Amino acid sequence: MRFRILRFDPEGDAKPFFQDHDVRLAPSDHKVLDALERLKAQDDSITYRRSCREGVCGSDAMNINGRNALACITALEGLREPVTLAPLPGFPVIRDLVVDMTQFFAHYHEIRPYLINDEPPPERERLQSPEERARLDGLYECILCACCSGFCPSYWWNPDKFIGPAGLLQAQRFIVDSRDRATAERLAFLDDVYKLYRCRTIMNCTEVCPKGLSPSRAIERIKVRLLRNSS
Amino acid sequence: MRIFSGQRAFVAQRLSALVLLAAAAAAALRLAFGVAPGFERWQAWAAGAPGSVILLVVAGALVIHAWVGLRDVVLDYVHVAALRLSLLAAAALGLAALGAWTLLIVARHALSHIAV
Repeated sequence: MRFRILRFDPEGDAKPFFQDHDVRLAPSDHKVLDALERLKAQDDSITYRRSCREGVCGSDAMNINGRNALACITALEGLREPVTLAPLPGFPVIRDLVVDMTQFFAHYHEIRPYLINDEPPPERERLQSPEERARLDGLYECILCACCSGFCPSYWWNPDKFIGPAGLLQAQRFIVDSRDRATAERLAFLDDVYKLYRCRTIMNCTEVCPKGLSPSRAIERIKVRLLRNSS
Repeated sequence: MRIFSGQRAFVAQRLSALVLLAAAAAAALRLAFGVAPGFERWQAWAAGAPGSVILLVVAGALVIHAWVGLRDVVLDYVHVAALRLSLLAAAALGLAALGAWTLLIVARHALSHIAV
């Protein structure tokens, strides 16, 4: 199978370039990550991140044939050849398919991704009704792979100011949590020309999320919540 | 709502879009099913109180909608502060001038019909 990989070594290359690689796959190779592992055995200079190899850690997010996806759960079958692999668009490239996620995680930390509750803790735990717990469905499953933010033109335009779909999905996860007591502060933080309202409802985020989540719906719900609070 | 809230523009853009949508739909229905339009009929309608008010509301909505759209394009694409400020000022002045011009035309037209 033929692969075309965007290569870049900051120590030797002036600019990134595409390099073709042929790899002989074994019958047990089904996913893009399997092929990358074969390629790595042939040419150990090819650099990429991977860890769990089953779509849980989000390390191997990359652009596969023009679409952001996780290499470990993207089937080789049906991919148009040469399979083009590139780093996540809009992120600074460290080397080959490895990108710098510093800004992405800075936005994640900005939304304070933890429960804030200064009330005295109960004897055992803060309970939720099944309905309250159900509100977290579709939000808590995010693995922060950055496929969504890396496919969002609004994030490409203002990566330093726009929180991005992944961060906003996480923000909504804590806004709707019945155990959290900082909803007003969270909403006030997001009510900003850049942080939330750079979203132009392009919906690429929902289109590419490998976990089937909908950041665009979460963003819309934050906007509706802000509207209700201000009226 | 805070002064630098993004919500103000978000709400203004949607409300002005609703006004423009209603105006476009009404105009399309009038053209499709109403009596044949003509310059004299249009002029008489624009000179009346309901016509002038509707024209001014639609023109206002158009100016607001255009401002939010232009502002968003500049915020997204122009990152040099001086250029961004200049473009925003030019857009604001241009749209304000267009709005004022529309107001002047409608007011002058209505007043001339009252005088007649």
